[in-house]
Amino acid sequence: MSPLRGCVAQLQDAADFANRVSSLTLRVMMNVSQPHTDRMNQTSHFITRRESLRQTACGFGGLALAGLCADSAAAANSLAAKKPHLPAKAKRIIFLFMQGGPSHVDTFDYKPLLEKENGKKMPFDDARTIANSGKRGTSQRVMKSPWKFKQYGQSARWASDLFQNTAQHIDKLCFIHSMHTAGVAHGPATLFLHCGSTNFIRPSFGSWVTYGLGTENENLPGFISLCPSAGNGGPRNYGNAFLPSVYQGTAIGKAGTSVKGATIRNLKNTKLTRAQQRRQLELLQRLNAEQLGSAAGDTELEAVISSFELAWRMQNNVPDVLDLNKETKQTQAMYGIGEKATDNYGRQCLMARRLCEAGVRFIQVTYGDNSANPAWDQHSNLPKHEQHARAVDKPIAGLLQDLRQRGLLEDTIVWWSGEFGRTPYAQKNGTGRDHNPGGFTTWLAGGGLKPGFSFGATDPFGHKAVENKVHMHDLHATLLHLLGLDHLRLTYRYAGRDFRLTDVHGKIVSAIES
Amino acid sequence: MILVTGSALADEPALARRQVDFFEKKIRPVLVKHCYECHAAGAKKLRGGLRVDSREGLLAGGESGPAVVPRDVEESLLISALRHDEFEMPPKGKLSASVIADFEQWIRDGAVDPRRDVAKATKAKAIDIEAGRAHWAYQPIKAPAVPQVKNTSWPAGDVDRFILAKLEAKSLKPGAGAAKIVLVRRIYFDLIGLPPTPAQIDAFVRDESPLAYERLVDRLLASPRFGERWGRHWLDVVRFAESLTLRGFVFKQSWRYRDYVIESFNNDRPFDRFLTEQLAGDLLKSSSVKERRRNLIATTFLTLGNTNLEDQDKQQLEMDFVDEQLDVIGRGLLAQTITCARCHDHKFDPIPTRDYYALAGILKSVKALQHANVSKWVEVPLPTDGEAKRKLDVHQQTIARLTGRIAELKKQLGGAAKNASPRSPTIVAVKDLPGIVVDDAAARKVGEWTNSQSNKQYVGLGYTHDGAKGKGEKTISFLPKLPRDGRYEVRFAYSHGTNRAAKVPVTVFSADGEKTILVDERKAPPIAGLFISLGTFRFEVAGQSFVMVSNENTSRHVIADAVQFLPVDEVSKLAPKKTAKKKPTVVAKPENKNPMDKLAAKKELAAVQAELAKHRKAAPRRQMAMSVLEIGSGKDLKIHIRGSIKNLGDVVPRGVLQVATYGNAPKMPTDSSGRLELAQWIVDPHNPLTARVMVNRVWHWLIGAGLVRTVDNFGTTGEPPSHAELLDHLTSQFIKEGWSIKRLIRTMVLSRTYRLSSAGGVGKDDPENRLLSHANRRRMDAESLRDAMLSAAGTLKLRMGGPSFPANLASDYGFKHNQSRRSVYAPVFRNSLPELFEVFDFANPSMVTGRRNVSTVATQALFLMNHPFVRTQAQFTAERLLDETRNSEKSRIDSAYRLTLGRPPSSAEMALSEKFLQSVTNDTEEARSEAWTQLVQSLFSTIDFRYLR
Repeated sequence: MSPLRGCVAQLQDAADFANRVSSLTLRVMMNVSQPHTDRMNQTSHFITRRESLRQTACGFGGLALAGLCADSAAAANSLAAKKPHLPAKAKRIIFLFMQGGPSHVDTFDYKPLLEKENGKKMPFDDARTIANSGKRGTSQRVMKSPWKFKQYGQSARWASDLFQNTAQHIDKLCFIHSMHTAGVAHGPATLFLHCGSTNFIRPSFGSWVTYGLGTENENLPGFISLCPSAGNGGPRNYGNAFLPSVYQGTAIGKAGTSVKGATIRNLKNTKLTRAQQRRQLELLQRLNAEQLGSAAGDTELEAVISSFELAWRMQNNVPDVLDLNKETKQTQAMYGIGEKATDNYGRQCLMARRLCEAGVRFIQVTYGDNSANPAWDQHSNLPKHEQHARAVDKPIAGLLQDLRQRGLLEDTIVWWSGEFGRTPYAQKNGTGRDHNPGGFTTWLAGGGLKPGFSFGATDPFGHKAVENKVHMHDLHATLLHLLGLDHLRLTYRYAGRDFRLTDVHGKIVSAIES
Repeated sequence: MILVTGSALADEPALARRQVDFFEKKIRPVLVKHCYECHAAGAKKLRGGLRVDSREGLLAGGESGPAVVPRDVEESLLISALRHDEFEMPPKGKLSASVIADFEQWIRDGAVDPRRDVAKATKAKAIDIEAGRAHWAYQPIKAPAVPQVKNTSWPAGDVDRFILAKLEAKSLKPGAGAAKIVLVRRIYFDLIGLPPTPAQIDAFVRDESPLAYERLVDRLLASPRFGERWGRHWLDVVRFAESLTLRGFVFKQSWRYRDYVIESFNNDRPFDRFLTEQLAGDLLKSSSVKERRRNLIATTFLTLGNTNLEDQDKQQLEMDFVDEQLDVIGRGLLAQTITCARCHDHKFDPIPTRDYYALAGILKSVKALQHANVSKWVEVPLPTDGEAKRKLDVHQQTIARLTGRIAELKKQLGGAAKNASPRSPTIVAVKDLPGIVVDDAAARKVGEWTNSQSNKQYVGLGYTHDGAKGKGEKTISFLPKLPRDGRYEVRFAYSHGTNRAAKVPVTVFSADGEKTILVDERKAPPIAGLFISLGTFRFEVAGQSFVMVSNENTSRHVIADAVQFLPVDEVSKLAPKKTAKKKPTVVAKPENKNPMDKLAAKKELAAVQAELAKHRKAAPRRQMAMSVLEIGSGKDLKIHIRGSIKNLGDVVPRGVLQVATYGNAPKMPTDSSGRLELAQWIVDPHNPLTARVMVNRVWHWLIGAGLVRTVDNFGTTGEPPSHAELLDHLTSQFIKEGWSIKRLIRTMVLSRTYRLSSAGGVGKDDPENRLLSHANRRRMDAESLRDAMLSAAGTLKLRMGGPSFPANLASDYGFKHNQSRRSVYAPVFRNSLPELFEVFDFANPSMVTGRRNVSTVATQALFLMNHPFVRTQAQFTAERLLDETRNSEKSRIDSAYRLTLGRPPSSAEMALSEKFLQSVTNDTEEARSEAWTQLVQSLFSTIDFRYLR
């Protein structure tokens, strides 16, 4: 009996789990032809697992239903859906991570002054210079945006030509123009964005969310990271740190390679046919039943047995969830699938929608690579932003439209952000912009957010957030709040104290909540 | 005069009145409305120790210092908070600009404030160290009397008496002992982390001698496999790893520390000595080269943190680095959460912030990082002896001889050699140069640059200059198309001259960040009169890779001609390319009186230079170890208020935890950091924590739960011990017996308590088995699981020690693990752990882990079902079984169970296995092998394979 189990036991609500699972499993299984979903078999509560395993002769798929009473699964599965602290406005998050730091003054934070002062040298408090030397007010050359800005939609919000497609949905978006964060370099800032700390080993946002809410679909992980980058913190950005490992993010694919055909690791047996493997697992479960022997009813050992049943179900269900061929040509086209520039991110976004539909709590969709200076990191060649925008703009627009059409935007949050923004002046007078953690733009859309809204502002150059500043901790607190989680109460005791995602910070920005 | 003074005097009360009015009207109401809730006498919870309800309160300030400095707006924290600079007050939202202006005005005018302190300014309650000592863990270790028990025949020793006494007090009885066949598997895995072979099992089960078990224990303790098993436990505690998450940088030397740990456990190095070496080995005297090496390698312990070396604020980085070290020392060695006291006094334990900075001062006095954009850990050369030493000496002598001769020859040649290249026209085409060359014509220019060819020494189509105008406004960037990731030597070409700038900033943007080199363009470029080397840099094709020349902070002309990127690994191949020959050199006028001598000297110079280069290249590799450097002094730190490097308080003398100090606190030296003194305090027999903590860890590793289950936390938020007297008994014995880990383990495993059966299940009276009426069933850890599969398959390689990955590995991203050595030798890469480790709850290599997670998740099942590793080992095992000269299927099945589960099958298991084989086998050999592979794979997945009963 590990004390850990004691902890976990407190966190779950078995009955609640059973109710949710039954409805949600159906949702996922709609296009699955497996006849083994009758998991609520009433008699199963009254026969022991061992007996049932012995008696059943109908193969592994059949075993699953006989042996698995929801209670023992819940005991084993601390991912069971949990009640939030507060009434939730959203159930899940799709996080579109723009790795490297897209420039806010070239995308969504329109600053006419840059045009006017273009090329002039002026003093700025440059974050990197301050961190390195403490020197303030260093001379920098103002650089205008190479892209044109226009107002879109009824809300008349600004967007540059880089995001023309996304801009078509601008009335769905809720901008925060006054973000600020910690960390001047990619490593620290990326970790801060994901884990709320620039340096310390802390659980990532998605892990906290699954810890707080569990998953809505026991056949899938609760937290999935699509094409995560190996760089700038790598696995730490979807890691569980000191939380139980069940809350770790599951990676599908990796940055820098096509997501086509990517899936959860070890999901497929390359040697055995389905029938062969089924027979093998049947043997395994019968042996396990024997070995369980007098320990029948021991939740820990039963959990081992049910983990194989769950694995088998995942193996059968996940490929369907990830199979984009199940989507119509129109839908695929809407995401830009099939077009060279947008195919990969389009696939990621469509996968995200399917996962979100299937009940995954937190899905991160990374646009990035594995280098130390990731995709959006235009220190020297700002026009390269165009290539990145082209790759993501249409897929994002497609995602927003699709979520809306399916009614999913009601209770799903789409979150678009880099780890920081970029400076309104040229780096070292070159042709690019340096990192800017002091002011940048994030947008959100969906459940519980004011649509067509904008909050906060940077100074007239777009350098520092000045009005209604929102710190990354505040954004974390707010996102948790929208999911019904109180960031002050979402704690985990480790090394003698209670830890939170927001450490001792975080203010909920209620102004953006609808 | 009198009048004037008089009028001034007459004005004073009026002025004062106006200022008080101003305060009453503009300042006080704001303070009351927005601040009193948290910063006044009546506050529910006073925040930050600050009160703003009196003049004294504002002037004294809180934890961060005075809130108001009369007449100094910029120094007044209150203003900075209102502006939302350092703090953000009020937290609910910034006040309006006009209100903030009022406050600024008020402070400028002297911060007149008629309010006087009624209630005494509150002072944060100081921690009472003496009272804190009452907590069990800070109490001195005593050797308690061994308790009397009713059932005197059961105990095999004192450990059992302590256990039995508690059971009897609850009217409980110890359960049955484990069967020999269960015990043998348990003791093998516990002591050496490997399964017993069927022959070893049989031998033990058949050995009727009463000493059979004891002999087996002694044999296992003496096995080199013991250190591999127990060393790994220690590596969990010290967050051992071989790479950093940041950019996947690999620690090429940290394997030496792993080997040191294994060797220490195998040689049963006294634990106090073991800790001292890790904390301060470099400061210990050593009597041999071997010992000196060991002492240096041990200090790798201090350097393994997964720190973000990219942090741009190096002061902050250093404090974070120290914090990480304190976390490992605190939780790993003392089971104390010291780092909780970084920003404020510990909320639960008697650890004041002073103690944190007393300890931090010791570690801050040590150089552990070399700073750059991305800082680097410290590696030190290891002393060598014998042949290695001789080779190194010879090499050094050779180098000295050759460089000496070169100097001589150069002197002999006088100015001739130096002036060999300048002023002779040298125009080289880009295509004739090796590597990747970007000419100025292809470079990206910002601002106005002019092309020139007037000086006949350049690459490609002339060179570019800034006309010595528009300083600070111009840059020129050279962007190469690099063929692959890797290291390149970067060379910069310019045409020199007296009207050139002396300090031209040339910045290389590489995968490791940016580095600016100031080039003196008045001097001739040293390489072929064209280039100067900027150094060697690592580039990633996908990342930034360019060189930018700026004219910022320069006077006179800034010149840029070309930049050359030479792949380092191919340099030797590229060097002889014909640049030299192609040079359209106009023969310089002989300036020498004796041209023949000069010619000979030149020839020799070239030869000697070539020889030097050859020797440099073939230099014997210096062995290095990760370590830290003493800087020859020790400096006390100031308290960092709220952990901020920008908010410093009183100086705290270096020292140790007061609550765990009995007798005199160690005296900290001024000529060194004080690490040795820290180590001596930690291993002092009077330190109530160190020995207890380790004894408890060993108990946890053997029994499955510590006497204190929170093995890394003996503070007040941890659990109290289930058997406090037993813990003290074992601890005092441990110290008395010279801190011997092997003796400690021996005592524990020879107890009947250890040898109990895990059957018997959960009783109502003791549902968590805290009283140990039976053994805990334990999950096998990742390494045992893997090593057990390799053992069954007969593929495990037992070679010990040495590096765990190729020396030329640049980063840990996507590393493919495919060795068949013991798991302890698999590289512990933070970005790419072996998948089996990740899935089966291996210790997070960035954190102190005294107790691993035990999880049951579907990914484990998926791994066992589908990962090729499992299938491959199952296949090898199957082949072994089919090879065996056994005639019956039954005996083969019997073998399979013994190989994997360490026992024969039950009759039901036998029947199931037979039936399975029949159902899937046909006559072909292939099908037979397949069927057996599947059977073995199933056995690898069973409960009995994955648990120790």
